[in-house]
Order: sequence, then structure tokens, then C-alpha cells
Amino acid sequence: MRITDRRFALLLMAPAAAFLAAFVLWPLIRFVSNGFFEISPIAGGPREFVGFDNFVAAFQSAAFQGASVRTVVYTLVVVVLEFTIGLGVALIFASLGARSAVFRTVFMYPLMIAPVVAGLLWRFLLIDNFGIVNELLRQAGILRSTSQIGWLSDPNIALFSVALPDIWLTTSFITLVLFAGLQNVPGDVIEAAKLDGARFPTLLFRIIIPLLRPVIAVALIVRGIDAARAFDIILIQTNGGPQESTTTLSLLIYRTMTRYGDPGLASAMGTIYLVAMLLVASVAIFAIWRPGSDR
Amino acid sequence: MIGIETNRASSRVLLWITLAVVLVIYGFPFIYLLLTSFKTPLDAIAVPPSVLPSQWTLENYVTALTKDGVAPALINSVVTAVLSTVFSLVLAVPAAYAITRYRTPSGRVFVLAALVTRMVPTIAVGAPLVETMRTLGLSDTSLGLAIAHTTISLPLSIWLMSSFFESVPDELEEAAKVDGASRLGALWRVVLPVVSGGLAVTAIFAFLASWNEFLFSLLLTSVRAQTTPIVIANFQTQFGLDWGGMTALAAVYSIPVILLTLALQRHIVAGLTLGAVKG
Repeated sequence: MRITDRRFALLLMAPAAAFLAAFVLWPLIRFVSNGFFEISPIAGGPREFVGFDNFVAAFQSAAFQGASVRTVVYTLVVVVLEFTIGLGVALIFASLGARSAVFRTVFMYPLMIAPVVAGLLWRFLLIDNFGIVNELLRQAGILRSTSQIGWLSDPNIALFSVALPDIWLTTSFITLVLFAGLQNVPGDVIEAAKLDGARFPTLLFRIIIPLLRPVIAVALIVRGIDAARAFDIILIQTNGGPQESTTTLSLLIYRTMTRYGDPGLASAMGTIYLVAMLLVASVAIFAIWRPGSDR
Repeated sequence: MIGIETNRASSRVLLWITLAVVLVIYGFPFIYLLLTSFKTPLDAIAVPPSVLPSQWTLENYVTALTKDGVAPALINSVVTAVLSTVFSLVLAVPAAYAITRYRTPSGRVFVLAALVTRMVPTIAVGAPLVETMRTLGLSDTSLGLAIAHTTISLPLSIWLMSSFFESVPDELEEAAKVDGASRLGALWRVVLPVVSGGLAVTAIFAFLASWNEFLFSLLLTSVRAQTTPIVIANFQTQFGLDWGGMTALAAVYSIPVILLTLALQRHIVAGLTLGAVKG
């Protein structure tokens, strides 16, 4: 007896599909539906259907609005800095050609480090009194005293400071992806532009970046999604403080669920967050990536 | 890359200097972590701090590795990551093969679903999973945590393996089938050996995803199955502010994967850039 190819394909996909249904889809459905209930934090406690009350409460809460803004700011800081540095380094690698191979390897190492380790390490580097960064800045004559910048204790700059380890950890990803993309930029196109007297900025903005567009889109979307979900790296550095200045949505949802014991409200917040992510990502995919437009 | 590559000696020198500066800044944090791990515990938090240890010692390594719970946590990390890697490969390989080889509509839905999974905040899956694991009797077990980690690595593995299967020419299996091999036989004996490099890359990424994961471990384990990232994080509360011990354990946890990566770097670059560059 011979089964059709289509059935055979389904059979091969079935185990993975069943796994994702049981351990991603089903929990997710439960999470979203929890948003419509008032839930007692005690296991087996009462549940009461409250319609959209939790969603209204989420939108009206100052904590949620603040955390949403901070999530957007954090994501933008991470993505913009990573892209600028990542593209710069990728261009340097490409300009130096094959001789840069060893340096590309060295540049890659933070990718393998756990976010928790990166967060703790940077907290150690930036800590007010015995952090090495302020001490080196003082020795270089940039700071008068080591307490002049409170990287993680000054609410005005803490959101920027907590982004540093994330940038350190994953700029290499952008560099590697862009470098690989640069290998596919036809050399004669650039030679021709150079012969026409194009200077480097023209070359970069008129030729290289437009040609890299699909690669840039993938890199930015992947990193944007991950930065918007950042959790452990922030938790470990500041736990959301000082004065809530680094409480992003993932921290707020976690805290609402565990510490404030309001799973219903936390689920409503998480659902809004998820829907917003899907919308932004879809818009980004269609706006920058334009899959198939060049085929 | 003839086009961008520069030939002027002066600009070359300038580029090398810029690159050197960037690499020093980039390399410094981890080197400082290593240097700190060899300082005495008091030296590690001295004011003002110095880059080099005044006295080299293994004290931090001894205290960190003999602390209660550290050795079991390292074992738990290995067990969980290995289990999760096996689950990911066993589930992803047939699925990715079906998606690339048969191109059915269900396959396209599958790829889209895997992409969407990446956007889900971990807490949205993690919180309900706590209850699921309790029902299954898998609370605070490495098996339960490995299942949770597989929800992260499986979509990634399907994505990566699909890219690798794409590069295998159809003719290869057609030839095997003409020789009388079944579809499964062709996959097992002809296609899989060709993509063995891809399997290795996918395995490394699945392993790393579990090895470095934090939130699922925080939610799903308490004592028995706790993994090392949680223990490293606890160095600040449980044992006071032991920065020296923290740096030692962080070094022990990071160095094996960094070395592994350097050894296999060509394959890893291929894996990282594959999906992206093909667009």
C-alpha cells in the first residue's frame, strides 16, 4: 500500500505540529482567555468572567502606558545603535577583505554568552563606586569623580544604560548578516559607480543600502522582536528600577502576574502586547522587506 | 567583494586602527570578567577598581564551584540542554524535510506559525505551562524544562533545517528512489548524510537556546531542576554581593560554549546568516 505524497508530508509534520499545539498554542489560548477573567492568585481559587474589564484597566493604568513607552524607546535604542555599529563594522570587514577573517571570529564571541551573564557583567562594569567604566573615564580625565555618572541609578539615563549589554551581546549578529549580504553585492556595480566619480556616502546610501534591503529587513525585524521581549537582561541589572525607569512591558507583566498576584490583568496586558507585536512586525515585513517584489 | 575592498594604503591603515579600537572595546568586558575572577573576593570590589589583579588566586573558583547547588545546577544545565536538543532535532528534521520537499499548503501554514511563535512573549507561554507541567507531573524536572525550552528551539530548528534541505538537489533522492529506496529510506540514507553539517549547526543553536535560557527556568523549576543561569543570578541575593564568585561561575559557564563556537565558527556563521541572506 502506498500513501500519497501529500499524506506522507502531513505525517512527517504531525509530531512537530502536535508539539507546538500542545506546548505553545494551547498555553497561549489559555493565557489570552485568562485576560477575560478576574482570577485569584491562589491555585484553584475562584475565577469570575469580567469581559473586557482587564483590558480597559490595562489601557487606563499609568504603569502600563509608561511601560509601553519604555519598551518602544528601549527597542529603538537597541535596534538603531546595533544597526549603525553593525553596518559600520561589516563595511570595515568588507573593505579589508579576506584578511579580516580572524577578527570576524573574535567579534562573534558575545553571541554565545547568556543574557543573564551579560546583564550581571555590565552591572558590575557600570556600578557607581567600584565600576571599572567610571574609573577608566576618570583616569582619562573625562569624569571628575567616579560618582558623576550613575549609569544604572540615575532614572534619566538608566533605560539607555540597561540597553548596553543587549547591544554588546548581539551587534555581532547584525554584522555577520550584513557582511554575508555584502558578499552578494556585485563588485562591478560598485566599480562602475566609482568610475562615475561617486563618493563613499553616495555609494553607501544610493547603492549598498538599497541592495542590502532584504537582508537589513530580516536583521532589523529579528532583533527588534527580541529587543521588545528583553526580560532577563533588564531584570538582572535594575529589576525595573530606579523609580520604574527601566520597567518594560515584559517586566511589568511578569511582576503583575507573580508579585501583584493579578493573573487576569497580566494576561490582558500580555495579550495587548502580543497583538501589538504581530501588527508592528507584519507592517515592518511588508513595508521594508516586500517579499517577492524583486522576483 | 572587489568593489568595496579598498586599495589605498592610507585608508587601509585607518580602517585597521578603527577595527582595533572597536575590537578592544568589544573584547574588554569579558576579559575584565576573567581578570576579576582571578582576584581575591575583596580585591574584586575594591575602590578604586584596578584592571589587573594585585594577587592572582583561584579562590573564587573554589568557593563558587563548591557552593551548595552549583554542581547540580551545572549538571541540570547539561541534561536539560541535551534533552531539548534531541527533542528539537527529532521533531524538526521530518517537518522541515516535508516543508521543503513537498511544498504543500499545510507546510506554508507551518512556516508562518513557526515565525509567529518567535514573537510570543515568553511569559505568555511560560505562565500557563507551569500548570501544564503540574498536571503532567513534570514540575521542577529537567524533562519538563527541556520541553519548555524546545518551544523556543523547535521553530528555529525548523527554519534552519528548511534552509539546509533547500540546498539538496531533488535529483539526489530521485536517483535513490529509482534504486528502490522508499521515501523514508531516501531521507534517512541519502539526504541526511548530505546535510550532516546543517544538522550540527541546528544542534548547536538548539543547545545554546536552552543553555542560556532564563525565564522558563525561573518559572518552572525551584530546587531539583534549577539550571545555572538562575544560580548565577542568585549570587547577588542568596550569598550577599559576591561579585568574585559570580564572575568565576560565569566564566566556567561561558568558556565551554565560546570555545565550541570558535572551533565551529564557519558552520555557525553559515547558520546565522542562512535564512537572512536568502531573504
